[in-house]
Amino acid sequence: MRAAALSIAALLLAGALPAQQLKWDSEKLAARASDTVDISLDGALLRFATKFLSDEDKDEAKVKKLIAGLKGIYVKSFEFKKPGEYTAADVESFRAPLHSADWQRIVGTHSNEEGETVEVYVKNDSKGIGGMAIIATEPKQLTLVNIVGAIDLDSLSDLGGHFGIPGVEVDKKK
Amino acid sequence: MNLEDELRSAFKRREPSPDFTERVLARVAAAPGRREPRPWIRWAVPIAAALLLAAGSLEYRHYQGERAKTQVMLAVRIAGSKLNKAQKKVQMLTHRSNS
Repeated sequence: MRAAALSIAALLLAGALPAQQLKWDSEKLAARASDTVDISLDGALLRFATKFLSDEDKDEAKVKKLIAGLKGIYVKSFEFKKPGEYTAADVESFRAPLHSADWQRIVGTHSNEEGETVEVYVKNDSKGIGGMAIIATEPKQLTLVNIVGAIDLDSLSDLGGHFGIPGVEVDKKK
Repeated sequence: MNLEDELRSAFKRREPSPDFTERVLARVAAAPGRREPRPWIRWAVPIAAALLLAAGSLEYRHYQGERAKTQVMLAVRIAGSKLNKAQKKVQMLTHRSNS
């Protein structure tokens, strides 16, 4: 009886705890980068930003829908003047927190020609996808993305293609 | 009359006329005094200050909102583009293996 009560209390507590963002220590990398983008938007800031996203503008309306219910978006992108400014150990240090059982790598792509690697991880919780992380490397760029909360990956990818990078057209050409 | 007598006469104590005090007080009363500010000015100054403060606060809030919006759009653009790259690569490989 007591054990059951403790279990229920633990479950309630887990539900009450805020979703955690990944702890990526990137200060050393930022010091070496020529340009840095560091975006940190917690749930409150996202809700605040939502009020300023227009329903009339097509892109803004899509983003508004996408971020509704998210608990945080954290992006760090570093650009370097020359290749080799970051090491494999640096990248591995960013992978480390994703090795836990909660996280699952769903996609890992590498292009030898361009030297690009993109790894996509999702965090599974009881309701489905509870978060997402991306580690993307290029010879002179390293990008880390952490989205906390349930995210629609297709919509996000669609917006990524929509914002200047061509969308996935492979299947449509058939 | 020599110089000494002239000086003595000049410095001789003379009593003021009996109505001197009254005349001085009458003049003081008649002189325009410091005006009290009009009643509405007392209220207008703090109201104007409060309005300016409110307008400034609203403007700052709007600026913060626009800044947050720009950050959201940029974050989604970066995240989306990386995800799109991965998705594109996967679909290209799938397409290649199917054909």
